Amino acid sequence: MQGILIFLLILLVMGSVACVMFRSKVKAAISLALISVILSIIMFALGQFWAAIFELSVCAGLVTVVFVCAVSLTRPDRHNQEVEEAYHKKVSGLPVFMVILGIGLMIILTMGNFDFSVTVDAAAQVRTFNDVFWNTRQADIIGQIIIILAGAFAVVILFKEGDKA
Amino acid sequence: MNSLTTAFFIAAAMILFAGCYMLVRSHNMIRLVIAVEVVMKAVTLVLVFAGYSNGNTALSQSFIITIIVAEVVVAVVATGIAIAVYRNNGDLDLRKLNKLNG
Repeated sequence: MQGILIFLLILLVMGSVACVMFRSKVKAAISLALISVILSIIMFALGQFWAAIFELSVCAGLVTVVFVCAVSLTRPDRHNQEVEEAYHKKVSGLPVFMVILGIGLMIILTMGNFDFSVTVDAAAQVRTFNDVFWNTRQADIIGQIIIILAGAFAVVILFKEGDKA
Repeated sequence: MNSLTTAFFIAAAMILFAGCYMLVRSHNMIRLVIAVEVVMKAVTLVLVFAGYSNGNTALSQSFIITIIVAEVVVAVVATGIAIAVYRNNGDLDLRKLNKLNG
């Protein structure tokens, strides 16, 4: 189990590097969807099924569609392609930085005496997701409704056709 | 600290770094929104592991769902702004957004 999780984490990091380094924005959006899929597999493996379903359907599905639509609505011109080339040159050093960061963090976390131990709450383990989400975190639900309404309102304003007269 | 905790922290830090690097290096609006999404994935990964390590998966799932909702709304609105800017300016480069009169 631990080996599979570490393998999935390595895939996750590689997906994020690919997302940054791809020249094409469509490929970057697709690799973002791949990151979401791997994250949802990790959630399934750690027993967080509801979050995994949301991650898979919303982040891997809806957000990717939004990004691909946005890319297709904004067609790149010749200048844009030059900018993309310049961007690719700028981020070409990222894998080296990532490897240095990973090795550095590994040394710091294994050598240093960090104590990240947590006390396991036995009462919390018994509670179901439905109980916590609908009975304990009601303010979160209201917040989510407000955020969704605000987003819908913003999209309506942004895409409102101007007066023809 | 066990090896799984170390792996999760390192992976989250590396994804966060990749997202921040993209935010700093790119001037394209859609790419910046994608970078914000990558950063949010790192935050979600830490929350997933936090819920697993202290046994309170129900609470961590409710936080993750709240984050996903906020993330999607941010992505949709930011993409809408990018398309609106493209319609007005014909470009998505942030450095060219210097013609605003206000």
